[in-house]
This record gives sequence, C-alpha cells and structure tokens, in this order.
Amino acid sequence: MTTTAVQTLKLEYVKTIGIVNNAPVGRGFANPIDLAIHDDGRLFVMNRGAPVFTRIGVTNMNEDYLYEFSSHGDGEGQLRLAAGIALSNDGSVVYITDEYHHRISVFDADSGDFVRAWGTHGSADGEFDGPTGIRVDADDNLYITDQNNHRVQKITAEGRHLLTFGGAGSGEGELNMPWGICIAPDGSIFVADWRNDRIQQFSAEGEFIAKFGESGDDDGQFIRPSDVAVDADGNIYVTDWGNERVQILAADGSHVRTLRGEATLSKWALDFLAANPDEVETRKISNLTPELPPHLDTPHLISSQTEPYFWGPSSVNFDSEGRLFVTESSRHRIQVYQTG
Amino acid sequence: MTTATKSDVGLIKHLLRRASFGATPTELDHYEELGYEAAIEELLYPGDPQNMPDDIIKRYHTDMHELRYGNSASAYWLYRMVTTKAPMEEKVALFWHGVFATGYAKTNQARSLLNQIDMFRRLGLGKLDDLLIDLAKDPSMIIWLDNQENHDGAINENWGRELLELFSMGIGNYTEDDIKEASRAFTGWTLGNAEYMAVRASKDSIWPYSRIAWHFDFRPGDHDDGEKRFLGETGNFNGDDIVRIICKQPATARFIARHLYDFFVADEEPVPQWPYSPPRDPEAIDILAQAYFDGDHEIRHMLRVLFNSDFFKEAKYSRVKCPAELVAGTMRLSGSVTRPYMEIIPTSDLTGFMGQSLLNPPSVEGWHEGTEWINSGALVERVNFAAKEISDITAPGVRLILDRLAERNGGEYTPTEIVDACLDIMGTPEMDREMRAALIAHVGMGGDISLTGGEKGGRCERRIGELLGLIASTTEYQLV
Repeated sequence: MTTTAVQTLKLEYVKTIGIVNNAPVGRGFANPIDLAIHDDGRLFVMNRGAPVFTRIGVTNMNEDYLYEFSSHGDGEGQLRLAAGIALSNDGSVVYITDEYHHRISVFDADSGDFVRAWGTHGSADGEFDGPTGIRVDADDNLYITDQNNHRVQKITAEGRHLLTFGGAGSGEGELNMPWGICIAPDGSIFVADWRNDRIQQFSAEGEFIAKFGESGDDDGQFIRPSDVAVDADGNIYVTDWGNERVQILAADGSHVRTLRGEATLSKWALDFLAANPDEVETRKISNLTPELPPHLDTPHLISSQTEPYFWGPSSVNFDSEGRLFVTESSRHRIQVYQTG
Repeated sequence: MTTATKSDVGLIKHLLRRASFGATPTELDHYEELGYEAAIEELLYPGDPQNMPDDIIKRYHTDMHELRYGNSASAYWLYRMVTTKAPMEEKVALFWHGVFATGYAKTNQARSLLNQIDMFRRLGLGKLDDLLIDLAKDPSMIIWLDNQENHDGAINENWGRELLELFSMGIGNYTEDDIKEASRAFTGWTLGNAEYMAVRASKDSIWPYSRIAWHFDFRPGDHDDGEKRFLGETGNFNGDDIVRIICKQPATARFIARHLYDFFVADEEPVPQWPYSPPRDPEAIDILAQAYFDGDHEIRHMLRVLFNSDFFKEAKYSRVKCPAELVAGTMRLSGSVTRPYMEIIPTSDLTGFMGQSLLNPPSVEGWHEGTEWINSGALVERVNFAAKEISDITAPGVRLILDRLAERNGGEYTPTEIVDACLDIMGTPEMDREMRAALIAHVGMGGDISLTGGEKGGRCERRIGELLGLIASTTEYQLV
C-alpha cells in the first residue's frame, strides 16, 4: 500500500504563471500544450494557439516575457498543430512536433531562428502520422509518440530513425493514440497511452516493463492521460486529462496523491485586474469554486466553471530544482508546485 | 419486422429529410427494413448518438476543449450533426434553437450556449413545462434577456415578455399586466456570480484565465414572493407556477403547434406575422394542438401525430433547407468527416455566409426562414458548397454511392438511368422535367456509363461525381 509514499512525498503549491492571449503575438499564452525548461531557468511554452495563434513564448519563474518565435502556417519554421516541445541537452535548440504537418521543426533556442525540419506523413520507419510527445534522452536522441501510428519512434537529432516500438492495440506494450512521453531518471521510457487510459513503462530499447492504471475516475485510474513525468524517487506524475486532475503514483503504481488544481492570480493576471476595477469589484463578491447543478457534474464541465482547477492539463514537467510545472491548455497558464 | 413498400420508401425518405438530415444509402436500408411507423418511433426515441467521440475532437481541436470562440462551438455542433446516429436529437435541438433564439453576440459565452443546446437534446422531445422551466433557468437565456437585472421591487420584464410573446403563447393572448406579474415571479432567477459574469459578458472579457462557464442560481432574498394574478389565476407564484399556468393554455398549444408545423411540415410566415395571418393549414394546427393536450404537453407525441398525418405526408419539398440542414445533410451523404480536420471551422462558418450563424441568431426572434434563406449571395454559397462536397469521389460516402451503383443494374447505365438513379440518391427524384432533360443531355454527351471492371476514380466515376455535383446545384436540392 501507499502509506510510506504518502508520508514522504512533499508537494506544495508555489504559483501560477500565465494569462490568456488572443492575438498572434504578445505576452500571455494561447492554448499552451507543452513546456520545455532550460537549465538557465527559461521556460519555453508551446502555444498550440488554437486555431491560429501558434508560437513559442519564452518566459521564466519571475514571469518576465522574454521573447517569442515561430507562427501559424505551412512554411518553413511555421507550425499548425504544434503538440510537443523539447530542448537539446546543451540547451541550444528546441524540437517541436507538428501533428498537422507530420514533421519535427528545429529552432535555435536563443534567436528563435528556424534551423531545419524533418519528417513526412506515413507509417514507415521515420515517417509520422500525428507526432505528439517528444523528449530528449541523455545521448540527445529523441523519443517521439507517433499518435495515429500508435507507436513510439526513437530518432537522432538529425532525423535518422533508430527504433520503433508499440503498435496499435491494448495488450502489454501496445498503444492507442499515445500522447505524452518522458524519460525517467533511470533511463526507462514512460508513455501516456492516451486512449488505453493507462501509463506504460518501456526500457530504452522499447521492451515493455510495466503498465499503470485503468479506465475510471477513482484513485489510480485515468481517463485519457495526456502526459507523464517521473521524479528522482521514481514517483510518477500524470496529467489525467479527461479527469482534469494530476495524479501521483509511487514507483510501484500505488496511488499517492491527487491534485485538482489551486491556481491563483499570476503577475500578468494582477496587471490586467489593476486596469479593470469593475472586474475586481465584482470578482470580490464571487465564488469561483461554486456548487453546480447535477447536469454540469463532469470533471470537464466543473473545470469550465471553477477557475482554480486544472482545465485541459496537457503536460507535466520537472525542473532541476524539483519544481513541478503543470500546463493547462484551456486556462492558458502553468501551475507550479515544489516537490521534495 | 416489415419491409417497406415502394410508396413507403418515398415517405421514409421524406421523413428522413425532416426528422434527420436526409439519408445515406446505409441509413435508408435500415429504415426501409423497419417500415414507416416503426422508423418514426425509433427516431423519436434517440439512442446512443455514437457521434465522433468528444475526446478525439477535443484533443485535436484544443479550441473545442476550451470553447472560447463562437465559431469553435458551432463547428463542434456541426461535427455532432454530421456524425450522430440519433439525428432527431440534433433536429429538435436545431428547432428549439430557432424558437428560443439565444446568441453569442450578447452573451459572449459559447460553452454556455452549447450547454443550452444540450438541454434541448435532453428535454426537447419531452414535456413543454419541463423545457420552459429549464429554459428560464438557462444562464445564457438569463443574460440574453437580462433576467439577472430582474429584482424584487425593480422588475426587468424582458424575459417575462419574450416568454409569453415568442416562446409560448404569442401576442394577443395575454395582457401587459400578465407580463409584469410573470416578471415578478421570475425575480431572483439568476446565474451564479451574476455581477461578475454580467460585467465579463458586457466587455467580452476573457481575462485572466479565459471564460468561466455559467450555471443557474436562485437568490431567495431577491425573489418577490408576494401574491400575483396571472392569466386569471391568483397565488404567490414562483417561476415554475407561471410556466405551469402557461402550459395549460390553448394558445400555447396552438403556438407550439404552429412552430412545429413551420419547421417540420411547411414554411410559415415569420413569427411576427402570426397574429395577423392565419396558419397555412389551420386544420393541421388543430390536430397538433389536440395532440399537445392528448399527450400531456409532450413534444414527442405531437411529432408522432405530425409525422403520421396526411398533411405531413403530402408536404414533400415544401420547405427550403435551412443552411445547417443543407451543410450537415450534404456532409452526411458525402461521408467526408471520418476524423477531426482543420477545415471543419471554415466549413461551419459557411452556414453563416448562407445566413445562419449557429449559436448566433440575428435576434430573439430567431431566423426568418423559408424563401428568406435564398438571396443571390446565399444561393451561390449553397450551390458551391454542396456541389464541391458531393462531387468528391474519394469521400467515403460518395464511394459508397458509387459501389451501390456498380452493384445495381449490372453496373451499366444509360444517361437516363444514371440520372434517375442519382436523383433518387440525392433525395430529389421529383426533378423539374426540363432540368432532368438537361442533366440527361449533359451526361449523354459522354455516352453510357459502365461501372464494371473500371478502376476506382476512373472516367465513369468522375462523370457520376460531376452529375452528383450538378444535382446539388439545382433548385430541388435546396428544398426538403
């Protein structure tokens, strides 16, 4: 059981970063879908920008909006359905998956200049049908979930195919529209097996190791998990997208804790409210965690009415200081928690 | 189980044009096997809609997970119309959306508008009393008609007036005092965090963290629980009582009957004309009004009587397709939507260019329908869309049509035979003689059609695709 894990896991809410942005440029987030964290503290936020405000915004824990790059479109260096973002180990380039163009685009992390892109639509090795999750291993190779081919591909930084594993199905080691992926501290690969409502663990060579969870909304169950991250102690953090929550499992898969979200006003949110006193006054007399009528009782509908709760948690990441970053596509923000 | 006769087949197609969005060959097989009356019952008791799964849509269209924008919400509804296996649910929702017209332009709340549509799915075939009570509690309607400003001692009569004038009885059947008394009864019927939500709606504010969806809230301290006199009855009425009294009225039965006739049978004049002009078919309204009381105010029973009536069976092609019917019906037939795709939003926007922006009607009166759908700009949009959509011979639904044609008639057709077969598939068998002759002459320029042994996408298939597109461009295809 989980008693030991419950007693030892420390986790505290720190802050919220973000505000909605409804323009093709500028401070704020537009449906952020994934995050890459630089060793120097920069946060590279992948704005899916549904439907057309796609770009990468770069900020930090102090909520300085530093710069942004790329845009919506079909040309080189442009993105349409950006899904995942990862930094190279030296922090010099970012890799972005685009499930519309079925390719991976590479940008200079400092200048934002387009470097190269690779990938074509298909099901052969090195081809993609909806590439989504992307993470970099210690050797700078990329593990990429290939959503509609129901598999994971390992690719070199230059785009050369190394390994494929998974395949359509619900058996051990098989996948159904995988989304997020992570490389655990021990080098094993965790995949958010999205439409199988579970997390699967593979060796770096793609051999099945373990599976965690099943369909449902109880502790340890998932509805369409979108991403996974693993801490230094082996605890598994899952954005349980369909349940609008984050679940934490111990290394053995036992349930440790569930987070529903506790967002507060970010610096940018406070800036906005400072200029809109009518909203401040009426907000003061509001209850943003209300009781709802029974026909609005799904996690999705509850989150649509409850501002502090996670809504569309799409990505979960750790920085080098053990901070947990949960990216919410429909609230345009990142909730930060301190672990350890 | 009975098998439909040939005359039944024509009626079943008529039924499916009205109670659904037309029929694919596969749907037709199913309903023909059921027979006409059993088909009505199945349509009136919608089962699992099996529409494109929400999770698949929301993962792909992040904007449809959030539903911040109006056009994301209308496109999301279009997916449902196009892929549902319970089409009556969507038809009834579309019907009530036109009657209880609530719009994005004032509410700036796409998700809550879709919640209202979902309420129409849940309650739209049920008892009118239940529907009107939930409508009064619907937060989009509350903001749309300012009921959050309707206070004890300081009424705002916008909701009370429209409830009587446009949603239940029609002008001439109540007094100004009835409006005031009804409004008093609905004081305190508001939405959660009304003050904040009203400010955000009025400013179209999405900040800081996007929209916050709405829910109903009753504030007893702001409710006038004093005695009221309404439509001849006296009591300490709350809103529920007002709805109950309204639903007992013969005028309500006739008003709802005329709305149902207008949407499901034949185009009526716009609602503002109703007090001054008799119904197109007064006897039909009498029959439907009686069905309202016989069925204890249940809309499903009214529709059962309607679809089984002679006046319905004789009303083929007497309505102009509304844009949503045209677009969704053509897409269902083409089968082009098999998974989420980016173009669904511009496709959904087309209904707006044709005069019907879903979830954003021009006013609380809804859309003026019938021939008012057709002006030269809208007609060009309608023809261009339908012809392009149905002439794509790679679309799964069109492939199914081609495969069926290849199986029948030995796969060999004269120009006359292929035109008649395609007219039947497109739901337009009663084509104008001159137009039919022109289509036959056009196809005849290429000679006979042979679908045996040819490869997919070959010349004969392309000619059929072109013919389907031409049929979609005719006047008859605009009718339902």
